[in-house]
Amino acid sequence: MGQGPAPVFLPGYPLSKKEEKGVFSSLGDSLSSLKLTIALLIILAVASIFGTVIPQNASPEEYLRFYKFSTYKILKILGFLDMYHTGWFVFLLALLSLNLVVCSWRRLRVTRKFFFLPGESMEDEQWKALPLHRKFLQQGLAVDILPRFQEVLSRIFTRPKLVEDSKQAYLLFAEKEKPSRIGVYFIHLSVLVILVGALIGSFLGFRGNVNIGEGQAADQVILRNGQQVRFPGFSVKLEKFSVSFYSTGAPQEFKSILTIMEKGRKILTEPILVNHPLTYKGITFYQSSYGVAGVAEAILAVKDRQSGEEVSIAAQMGNRTEIQGSSSFFLLDRFLPDLQGMGPALQIIFSEPNRPQQNFWVFQNHPELEDQRAGRYRLTIKGIEPRYYSGLQVTKDPGVGVVWAGCLIMIAGFYMTFFMSHRRIWVRLTEKEGGTLVAIAGSSHRDRTGFEEEFKKIDHALREPRRAHEENKERGGQS
Amino acid sequence: MISTKMFSSVTFLYLACTVLYINFLAFRSERLGKIATGLSWITLLIHTAAILWRWVESYQLGMGHAPLSNMYESLVFFSWCIALLYLLWEKKMKARIIGAFAMPFAFLFIAYASLAPGVSDRIDPLIPALQSNWLHAHVITCFLSYASFALSCAVSVMYLIKIKKKEQGGKETGWISLFPPLDSLDALVYKTIAMGFPLLTIGIVTGAAWANYAWGSYWSWDPKETWSLITWFVYALFLHARLVREWRGKRTALLSVIGFAAVIFTYFGVNYILSGLHSYT
Repeated sequence: MGQGPAPVFLPGYPLSKKEEKGVFSSLGDSLSSLKLTIALLIILAVASIFGTVIPQNASPEEYLRFYKFSTYKILKILGFLDMYHTGWFVFLLALLSLNLVVCSWRRLRVTRKFFFLPGESMEDEQWKALPLHRKFLQQGLAVDILPRFQEVLSRIFTRPKLVEDSKQAYLLFAEKEKPSRIGVYFIHLSVLVILVGALIGSFLGFRGNVNIGEGQAADQVILRNGQQVRFPGFSVKLEKFSVSFYSTGAPQEFKSILTIMEKGRKILTEPILVNHPLTYKGITFYQSSYGVAGVAEAILAVKDRQSGEEVSIAAQMGNRTEIQGSSSFFLLDRFLPDLQGMGPALQIIFSEPNRPQQNFWVFQNHPELEDQRAGRYRLTIKGIEPRYYSGLQVTKDPGVGVVWAGCLIMIAGFYMTFFMSHRRIWVRLTEKEGGTLVAIAGSSHRDRTGFEEEFKKIDHALREPRRAHEENKERGGQS
Repeated sequence: MISTKMFSSVTFLYLACTVLYINFLAFRSERLGKIATGLSWITLLIHTAAILWRWVESYQLGMGHAPLSNMYESLVFFSWCIALLYLLWEKKMKARIIGAFAMPFAFLFIAYASLAPGVSDRIDPLIPALQSNWLHAHVITCFLSYASFALSCAVSVMYLIKIKKKEQGGKETGWISLFPPLDSLDALVYKTIAMGFPLLTIGIVTGAAWANYAWGSYWSWDPKETWSLITWFVYALFLHARLVREWRGKRTALLSVIGFAAVIFTYFGVNYILSGLHSYT
């Protein structure tokens, strides 16, 4: 972290003006302009604000509750009701990407030299232009001093390279944390990668919902646009759904046990929960909703009004259930979770010998109503085990991996950009009368103040290499 | 609950810290400054203990989850992040002048947690959507970034006050003379954002990863997501303007304040103003 890069390398700054500019190069200039970047970021931010204030993808009825019809029409035509997928919004994103590519490309020409051109040796003028340099005279021959300097630099900075080696002059060059220069390209690249991932998802992926009752299977899904998509060669069976609640009434867990079937064969059985989806052949199933499809079993208390005896009977939906010790039987015909605001109710068809068949409703929460019905038996509902259906969201998005790769590249880019600083040190040894002239120069990409400290330390250590070297040896010997 | 009582006393302690830092600024008394710093560290310690204790309490209630799961807990954690980042900065820089501008943020957010009528201090069990390890990574990175942006905003306000005084041509007198030089303030505005921006990015990415597990979509232009992206755009703008266009001083300080306003809207505004139209479940 620290100050920004030196103002020498500025993309977006007008490049040297040529006499005549072609249409393409001036177009390139406007596309590489940082003004465009700033304008696009502002426009995208403001547009996004509209997108959060105006409800997106709601039904016309909902909109007409908020807006006048004319306002609704205008918003619809301008694409504000599904703004993030509207042409002009996508165009802005595409323009931002193009701007990013052109800016990065132009900037790369400057950064390139740190990587591919030999930046190590330098002319006197370049030397003087560096922000930090020192000179001092050291006794002894350059050839004797050199190994000590190499050792000191390796120890407190990093291993130097010997870039010039003439008879009486040497130039050492050492550099650290070079990736700091290219972090910004990683970040820009990552934005493109993420957008590409999103495009892959929107063209090759789909998203839909399917409700499956317990014991049933589905082999296709209906998408949001009404289209039907078959699962490739398999079907999904819901073995069981369960829901549990905390004592506060808040939901604790929604769980569907799914079996993947291929040609009638069970492939695998796995539970899915919220936050634990199941992926099979690129299609992912998410626990999304649930509901009651009917009743699996009901426990009924059957009281004989003549004898006063009461028995509990578990009855399956749709099956004929006999009352033991009599020739009566009944059938659970239908279940409604809420009949006329009076709660759950079962429709029962009852058959007694020598009486016409009865067809009536029994309410779970209103057992007293049974008293008004004539007949030998009085029925009350003791318990109902609902048969659930589970609402699954079915998603295919082959772009997700690309998006995550983009996110990782972005984070790596941030690390390089904000937590690294390309630091370079040059040391030149020139033999003179009476000793060797040592010149040190340094530059850093960021954090100038931090580097000044480091440079001072290096300068100090080189001036007294022998002492620092020996102290270090002694310390090493003691420990 | 004991932790709730601890948080109430921590609220008053942060108020005391704020008053001390302001007095330190007003009377320029080194002793007051030292007391302010000491009390702030003690407050942060109690604050930390209270968060840990709330965690223990959630286990005692049979739920057992980190105290990062609702508005109350997030406000308490936000305040903790601000106090921690500020105090670490103060220790590193050996300058406590920003305390008078940073501590009020720590105080305000925890006070809002205790006093706002809509914010319940109950420990609730986690609903299925929140039962994810992404919750921790997401909440921690988001609030550390928000806290960096809060500090940046505090420093920007100092910068704007100082430059206004300077532009009025007056000599720097009184408490403004204690402010760090404009250049240092400007550099600090940048450094805090250079820390907050990557954290915000990780916060958004972990949120997207979580959404992908829970709802099957890493991005759905939900208002909360969109506002976090708007915030990201504002700070991206700040960094480009500063690093490439060499914007300095007033303009970047203003951008930092706008950015923090976007943070606040992402955090509160979306819940309170836009929730009538959209819900975040």
